[in-house]
Parts: sequence; structure tokens; C-alpha cells
Amino acid sequence: MIKPILPALIFILGAIPIPFLKGKLKQFYLLLVPVLALIDLYSLGVGTQWGIPFLGYELIFLKVDRLSLIIGYIFVLIGFLALLYSLHVKEDLQHIAAFLYMASSLGVVFSGDYFSLFVFWEIMAVTSVFLVWSQREKASLDAGFRYLLMHILGGCCLLTGIIIQVIETGTVALTPPMNGWASLLILIGFGLNTAFIPLHTWLPDAYPEGTVVGSVFLSVFTTKTGVYTLARCFSGNEILAYMGGIMAIYGVIFALLQNDIRRLISYHIVSQVGYMVAGVGVGTELGVNGGIAHVFNHILYKALLFMCTGSILYMSGKRKLTELGGLARMMPVTCITCVIASLSISGVPGFNGFVSKGMVIGSATESQKPFLELMLTLASVGTFLSFTKLCYFTFFKRNDEIKAKESPLNMQVAMILTASLCILFGVFPQILFHVLPYTPVGYHPYTFFHVIGVAQLFLVAGFVFFKARSAFSPHPWIILDFDYLYRKAFQAIAWFCRKPLNDFRLSIQALFSKAVGYIASLSRNPFSPKGGDYNENIYRNPMGLGVLLAILFLFLYGLIYLVRL
Amino acid sequence: MNELASMERLLKKLFYLLVVLSILLGFFVKKEHSLFGWHEIPAVEAIFGGIGALLLLMAGKFLASFASKKEDFYD
Repeated sequence: MIKPILPALIFILGAIPIPFLKGKLKQFYLLLVPVLALIDLYSLGVGTQWGIPFLGYELIFLKVDRLSLIIGYIFVLIGFLALLYSLHVKEDLQHIAAFLYMASSLGVVFSGDYFSLFVFWEIMAVTSVFLVWSQREKASLDAGFRYLLMHILGGCCLLTGIIIQVIETGTVALTPPMNGWASLLILIGFGLNTAFIPLHTWLPDAYPEGTVVGSVFLSVFTTKTGVYTLARCFSGNEILAYMGGIMAIYGVIFALLQNDIRRLISYHIVSQVGYMVAGVGVGTELGVNGGIAHVFNHILYKALLFMCTGSILYMSGKRKLTELGGLARMMPVTCITCVIASLSISGVPGFNGFVSKGMVIGSATESQKPFLELMLTLASVGTFLSFTKLCYFTFFKRNDEIKAKESPLNMQVAMILTASLCILFGVFPQILFHVLPYTPVGYHPYTFFHVIGVAQLFLVAGFVFFKARSAFSPHPWIILDFDYLYRKAFQAIAWFCRKPLNDFRLSIQALFSKAVGYIASLSRNPFSPKGGDYNENIYRNPMGLGVLLAILFLFLYGLIYLVRL
Repeated sequence: MNELASMERLLKKLFYLLVVLSILLGFFVKKEHSLFGWHEIPAVEAIFGGIGALLLLMAGKFLASFASKKEDFYD
């Protein structure tokens, strides 16, 4: 019988042959590896655990429970679809980076201790940045460095928190951290990857600059591993619930103002992750189930949105709403799948977002958090408006200048399959309910009351959009976010290092040089010639003097030694 | 071209009809969970949809008034 292995290991080893394969064989191989990983996941039973002893601690690389298993399933499933979308890409670097990124994300999900989690966490940051840099433009290079800098900062916080936690508890087991500094620093570390406000700036900065394929992968893993770790360690934390609400609204307001379609949907990651964080923060069975169901559904429709916007960028070379329009006839598959993704993310009945978003908002109501319920409802309205704007100005608004045709077949198939899954999990939510962390799930999404309520919400919001269409029209601008303050702060730090700190270093260096010169002058041979030619035979001290001093020293040393005896 | 315009008009009418219908249905639907005061208001989601859209529009305008910059601002 074949024994299950670490899902992460399948992708790590799977990355090795990629540079040696070409053509159809490579394409077949790229799809085969996630299929093998899916079979492996299926064979992993809940309760499976595998670890090794290391420096007196137990490192657990594989710990399977219902929470890790559902995240593992969706990671591998979307990995398959994203690889299908990327089959036309010839560059090996992107595929290798994607494989290692998937591997490290699965490594985080199945880690049973803080140490192995941290190692995979950092690999995730390093491998994912290559999906941004592969775009090979100055903007991508700069955004990639900023992305890396932020993640290193988060990693440092996480490591410090882990060290304090291990010292205080004496164990590396992945359990909710002790209150105090350990808890705070670990929360900041997890929170940075989850795009907590105001630590979110790396996300709308780097994701739009990734490659067409790279951004699809980027949209899936980093923030969702963040939500997973929060569900694992901070479930039921009220601060998280309200942070989720803030993220949901903040992301939506910024998304509504964006001109770049990939930046618009990146801000919606912040917003949608807000729902997940809110669900986890509420911490009830419905809240955690809702948060995790939203992770699952969001991965599908968000990857689909990045596929669609990638398809537009790939085929038209444009990504700004002010330059787009009229693509519905030229790119029908992209248009239909993008509309499906938009309806899903908005939470329209019949699409997957409707189910999980309803669960999260329901959990806020159930746990007597009226303000949170209002925040999440308002964010729903904003999401609907934002995607009405995206679809209208990209596909339906008249634009005679634009020229494009439908994307390659593999991209179309990937988009159609992902869109079908959005509908499947929307129409038959029970399929998803079977694999949620807490079962049985007693939530019924398709009640008349709920469907009518959501219909009212969106129809009236849509009415406002079409009546005030010009107020929503895009502008060729950027909207400053917290990253403006970070850039200013880093510029100030750089100036401080370059000017005052460097001047101080130079003055200290001058002082020491002076002191050394003075000491050197004191240690100079007083008999040395002041001028003229140096004749060694005249000025050299007799060798006997040195020998005499050595004998005298030894004699005195021996005397002291004997007296002490 | 005329066909397209008439189709657009038809869709618009259908949309308005759906808006009115959904609001009217909101008066007859039985509430399941009335935990907070506003849950008792008939067709409250329609009010949220309208006010929410206007609020977000105003919030966006306010933010753009001081945070919007030219696209090459960071270059």
C-alpha cells in the first residue's frame, strides 16, 4: 500500500524536473503534479501526524485535521486550475516559483509547530516575490522589493513572538499563544500576511505588478494562510472581528476609486479577507465555518477575477478602466466568466459568495454584534457597486479604439472551469458544508427572507449606480494609501543614515584616528633619528638588551610563582 | 442600432420592475431573525442598499479630494 507523504514535498520535488521538460510533456507534467497532490490529500486521514525530534523539540511537519484539510484541498484545486491557465507560459522560472510557493503554503497549513510554520512562512515570501519580479519591469522590481521588505518585517515580528512563546511555554507546538508580547507579536506577524489595516499596503502595491499568471497564484495563498493561522491561534478574538469589519469597508472604498483593474481587485482581497477575519474573530461555530467557507469560495472567484483581468491585459495590453471598454464582443468568454466572478464576489444568490458571506454576516448577528453586521452589509453594497463599475467600464461601455481578441484556449478552459465551480458551490453549498471544520452545518442560505433581502440590497444599489453613473466613472489617478507614510518614513530613515548618522560615524572615526596617531607618536622609539638616512647598524638596539629583559621577566615571574607556592 | 436601443430600453424597464418588485416583496416577507431594531423595518435592505451606495460614494469623493494624485506621482 502506498503511504501518504507531505503534500509540500510533492511540489518541492515536483519543481526539480521542470527545467528539463519541454512542450506537451511539460504541460502534461505541470497538470499531473497537482493531481498527485490531490490524491495524496485524499489519502490523508484526519488525525495523521508526522514529525521529527530536533534539539529537544518535536517538529511536526504534518498534522491533519478538518481545518487544515479543507484549506489543503482548495490550495491544490486552485493550483491545478492556475497551472492550466499558465500552460502557454514558456518561462520555467514562473512555474518553479509557483510550485515552491504552493509547496510552502501547504507546508504552513500542515505544520503542527511554530518552528516549521515559520520556516515555510518565510519560504512563501521569498518564492512568491519571483512571481512579481518575473514581469521584468521597473515597477514590478520596485514593488517586489517593497513586498519583500514588508514580509521580512512581519517575519521578524513573528519570529520574536515565537521565541518568547517557546521560552514561556517550553514547547514549539502550534497552540494559541500566551497573552502578552508573544501573542501581540505573533498576531502582527500573522496579521501582516492577512493584510490587516494598516499593514496591508504590500498587497495592492505588489499584486497588480505581478505577471499575468503570477498574480493568479499570488491572489490565492499568502492572505489565506494568514486567515488559516488566525483561525488556528486567535479564533474568538473580538479585536479580530472588528478588524475584519474595518478591512471590509476600507478595501471597498479604495477599490471604488481605482483606475487600474488589477489594483481594484487587489483592494477587494483586503475587503473580502476582512469577512474571513470577522468570521474567525466572532469565533462561534457559524463564524469559523463561515470564515473558512469564505476562504474556499473567495479563492475560486478571486483567482477567476485575476484570470479574467490577466486575460484582458495579455490580449489588449491595457489595464486601466479609462482605456478599456467594449470588450464584451471581442472577448466573450472572458466577459461571461468575469461577470460570474463579479456576481460571486458580490454575494448574489446562486453564486458561491452568497453562501459564505451570508454565514459570516449571520454569525455577527447571532453573536449580538450589530455594528459589525452593519459594517459587513455596507461592504457588500460597496463590492456590488465596485464590480458593476468594473464590468460596465471594461466590457460594456462603448470604446471604438480598443482592439483585442479572445485569450488562448488553455486560459479560456481554466476560466470556464473556475466559473463553473463558483456556480456549483453556490447552487449546491452542501458539498462544501461536508468538509467545513464544524459539522453538521445548520445554516440554510436559500430562505425566501434572505434571498429577497439580498436582492433588495443589490437592486437598489444598482439603481443608484445607474442614476449616478458619472459619479462612479474612473479617473486617471492613483489614491495615496498608508504606503505614502511608509515611503516617507523610509526616506527619513535613509536620510538619517546618510547624513546625521554618517557624519557622526565620520567624526568618531576622525577622533579615533587622532587618538591612534597620538598613541603611535608616544610609542615611537625616542632614539630614532629625526632626520637624515637611517643606518640600522648605528641605531638598532643591541639584541642583548632584549634577551636581558626577557631573562629578568622570567626570573621575576618564577620568583612570584615560588613565593605563592 | 435601433434594435440595440430598444433592447436597452427594455432591459432598463425590466430592471426598474425588479427594483419595485423586490421592495414590495420586502413588505410581505416573514422576518426570521429580528435581533436588532432595524430588522423590524419593512424592506430595510433596500434602504441599506440606497443609503449605503450614497454613503460610499460620498466617502470616496471625500478621500479622493485629498489623496488622489497623478499616476506618475511615485515615479
